[in-house]
Amino acid sequence: MLAGLAWRNLWRQPRRTLLNVISIAFAALIMVFLLSFQMGTYATMKENVLQVIDGYAQVQPTGYQDSPDLKKTIADSDAIMKQIETVTGVATTAPRTTTFAILSNGEKSVGAAVLGVDPEREVRVSRLNRSIIHGNYLDREDSNAIVLGAALARSLGVEVGDSLTLLGEGLDGSIAADVLTVKGIFESGTPELDRQLSEMPLARFQEDFAMDAAVNLIVVTGPTLAGVLDALPDLEPLLNDREVELKSWKQLQPGLDAAINLDLNTSLMWYASMVIVVVFIILNTLLMSVLERTREFGVLLSIGMRPGKLGVMIWMELSLLALLGLLVGIGLGCVVTLLIGHYGLELPGAEAIFSQWGLPGRLYPRLSLLSISAGPGAMALCIFLAGILPYRRVRRLQPVDAMRAA
Amino acid sequence: MSTILECKHLTKQYHQGDTTVNALQGVDVSFNKGEFVSISGPSGSGKSTLLHIIGSLEQPTDGDVILDGISLRNESRRELADIRLNRIGFVFQAYNLIPVLTAAENVEFILQLQGVDRQARRARSGELLKQVGLEGLENRRPGQLSGGQQQRVAVARALASHPAIVLADEPTANLDSKNSDELLALMSKLNQESNVTIIVATHDPKVIAHTRRHIVLTDGNIETDETRAA
Repeated sequence: MLAGLAWRNLWRQPRRTLLNVISIAFAALIMVFLLSFQMGTYATMKENVLQVIDGYAQVQPTGYQDSPDLKKTIADSDAIMKQIETVTGVATTAPRTTTFAILSNGEKSVGAAVLGVDPEREVRVSRLNRSIIHGNYLDREDSNAIVLGAALARSLGVEVGDSLTLLGEGLDGSIAADVLTVKGIFESGTPELDRQLSEMPLARFQEDFAMDAAVNLIVVTGPTLAGVLDALPDLEPLLNDREVELKSWKQLQPGLDAAINLDLNTSLMWYASMVIVVVFIILNTLLMSVLERTREFGVLLSIGMRPGKLGVMIWMELSLLALLGLLVGIGLGCVVTLLIGHYGLELPGAEAIFSQWGLPGRLYPRLSLLSISAGPGAMALCIFLAGILPYRRVRRLQPVDAMRAA
Repeated sequence: MSTILECKHLTKQYHQGDTTVNALQGVDVSFNKGEFVSISGPSGSGKSTLLHIIGSLEQPTDGDVILDGISLRNESRRELADIRLNRIGFVFQAYNLIPVLTAAENVEFILQLQGVDRQARRARSGELLKQVGLEGLENRRPGQLSGGQQQRVAVARALASHPAIVLADEPTANLDSKNSDELLALMSKLNQESNVTIIVATHDPKVIAHTRRHIVLTDGNIETDETRAA
């Protein structure tokens, strides 16, 4: 009964109601689209950055993250990988060795990060093989091959097929030296990696650096980042008593996490301002409507409507208005997001920032339950809470005083 | 006849700035079941105040109202709302129907507040609108009805809950002569048929002529209280 009456009351002033609905709907539309856009961009950033090299998680020797050292190794990596791959959400793992070494070509020498990788497993955790611009990526037959970042190759003045010298310190303190042939040159999209990174076959690395079968870390990945994050609590018990620790993507890429959080928090302040403005507009209109109808409320109280019910009716009017506006806004927001999600959105002038985070030139918003519900949900909550004000005002009305109102 | 309403030493004072206005000065009066009573008096004599206090819309400064055996003095706002809903019917000068509801829905609204089921509500509103001569106009909204028709809906609404008393404040003030006559004839008929007590505050001599008992208030006191022979 109250809902029906509240609904009819809403349409006493159709133009006013429509304006309010449009205000709420527009704010909801903007929030659905912008949140979807942000979430889509963050997801692309994470996927692009993490899939290049880090993976969604890593198993590392204890303390390795803070102080990487060739001597910090995982002894039983095969057993750990087998166990990890049984957990739901994890698709595959890949072992790595990693160190810094001198790469030389004639008189040119450059300090570089050298990774030892199992090519067959590596292509399942990293997209570096898809970033090859000259030559080919490593494969299982390779022995003395190496792939390099494009900027590193330029610094060394090498091309595919050239040889270069590797010089470093082995696990046992011996000198690690080798002559490797450049098999491929990659351009990952991340300038830092292209300047510093090189990869060679794991077995050759272990031989050169006297590591036997030891590895420095295990990269963990899965079909989705969320799936791997969900799997982390199940992975922890498998690693107990092995002197290793599990690192999630946030620990592997704290800069990326901080950048996302900063951007999100800045946006949240903007969203909050928008919600506050819209809520005040709606509240102002409703209070005006309450003032206009004070006499009528007096009549309703006179004929026996309880003050609480009258307050609930006003609160329902506000709620119905909010619900209508939010549903329209969410619907339009989804349509706009899906359309732009299909064609993508180009933001000219932002290429430098995009490449820093591995973003493509065209960005695609992604609809999710969170992006659909977070903004409109916050708005609904604020509007419902704001409804307490007219509710309280109406509850305090005295029938005779209200009926005397002009 | 049994007493349905008793006013005991009703006093009402208002404060307007530094001035105290004595709207009612110890009014003692009783009303019997089935009476049709008019209360008249000059402006400011306390008619509306008395009606408001009887209708539990205002609290007296002193004194008490006993309605159908219930003292209204110490009831909460919620309980007073329930008393108004179940025991008192109101007819206002300006009709005061809910503009977004149809004639039938305005009558049913009271019954909805009482929790009466849909079928019973429909039957009761149909019966009342027929009684007040508005058959066929059930689905019209107040804006689509004349003043006289709106006041008839208001009367039907006032009777919907089978109240102990109906309070009418200047019910004919906004009506022309023809509609006033029709409304008074209707109220007299309903008073006799339903045996409901009707108390009307009025300036209108026609209304006074329709009632058997007439109370005149002056300066918040009862000046005369006369009952004519049947």
